Amino acid sequence: MGRFFAAYPLHVCDINGAMNTAPTRHALRGSLDALPLFIPALPFAFVFGVVVAEAGIPEWLGWSSSPIIFGGAIQVTLFTLIGEGASVAAAVSAALIVGARHMLYSVTLAPRFQNQPGWFRWVGAYVLIDQVFVLSQIKRIDDPVGFRRYFLSAGFTFWTLWMISTALGVVLGPAIPTEWGVQFAAPVLFVSLMMAASGRQDKLAAAAMAMGVTYLLASWPNRAGILIAVIVSVCVMLLATRKQST
Amino acid sequence: MIAAAIILTGIGSYAMRAFFIFALARYAFPPLLLRALEYVAPTVMAALVISMLTTPEGELAAGPPEIVGLVCAAFAARTTGNHIFALIAGMGTFWLIGAII
Repeated sequence: MGRFFAAYPLHVCDINGAMNTAPTRHALRGSLDALPLFIPALPFAFVFGVVVAEAGIPEWLGWSSSPIIFGGAIQVTLFTLIGEGASVAAAVSAALIVGARHMLYSVTLAPRFQNQPGWFRWVGAYVLIDQVFVLSQIKRIDDPVGFRRYFLSAGFTFWTLWMISTALGVVLGPAIPTEWGVQFAAPVLFVSLMMAASGRQDKLAAAAMAMGVTYLLASWPNRAGILIAVIVSVCVMLLATRKQST
Repeated sequence: MIAAAIILTGIGSYAMRAFFIFALARYAFPPLLLRALEYVAPTVMAALVISMLTTPEGELAAGPPEIVGLVCAAFAARTTGNHIFALIAGMGTFWLIGAII
């Protein structure tokens, strides 16, 4: 009897723990995982500030693109082309082609969003950027609540840091010296993310193939080659793994 | 005009992110498509790395410091599984070889 009573509260704690603290842990994990990924975005925010200044756009208007667009490469492409005197239609369409890879993220995450509430589809899509996408692919959380907390926490940690750093970028301008080569941190981080996302040999082979195809198509305008390289390597890998299994 | 460009790009980029999440909300994904989607993350990351290292004219803008730095970063990522270690290994090698050459 004594053993039963002693065990009972422990059992309750365990269930409560699983229900209440696990999602909190996922939320904290999401924030912590997002932080190192922001390191290369910091010098990029200052590049963004320089692009806004060189395009002759008011600081507040340039910064407003951070909450409205929330995508560094898209924002920089838009203001670079406006600065070069391109028409609105040309600048917007080029910026959207640069961002076209987000459609791949939308397809890839669609199954994970199926067992989620409607509000999360609206809010989650807003923070669906490269880093948040790849984090959600590396950390496979099957529990819907855990997935949602992890995704939103990583996304809005990145969002907050991007709002602050682009504000600093437009105000301070070229505050980070470029001759140190700090921009190289971006490809270094994405190689690290690529390795983390390529846990299996076939995924690593797909990544290697995508590198080759992207290089062959590197002269295509507005990085359209990225989309083609992904589609080609995915199709080739499907064919290759199909042959192995039959 | 600039405000219109920002708002249009904002609507467009949100639509690209949201479109398939909403369009496929009730779609039963066939196993072949689910298998294909597993390759998206590694291949997009790989394509982004190369696009960062090439000029808009399609030429490779990376010398020995960059290439060796990336190989070291990939090795550090694979052995430690830690992005900060990979950043330190990649940037450290890049700066070291850059200083020697």
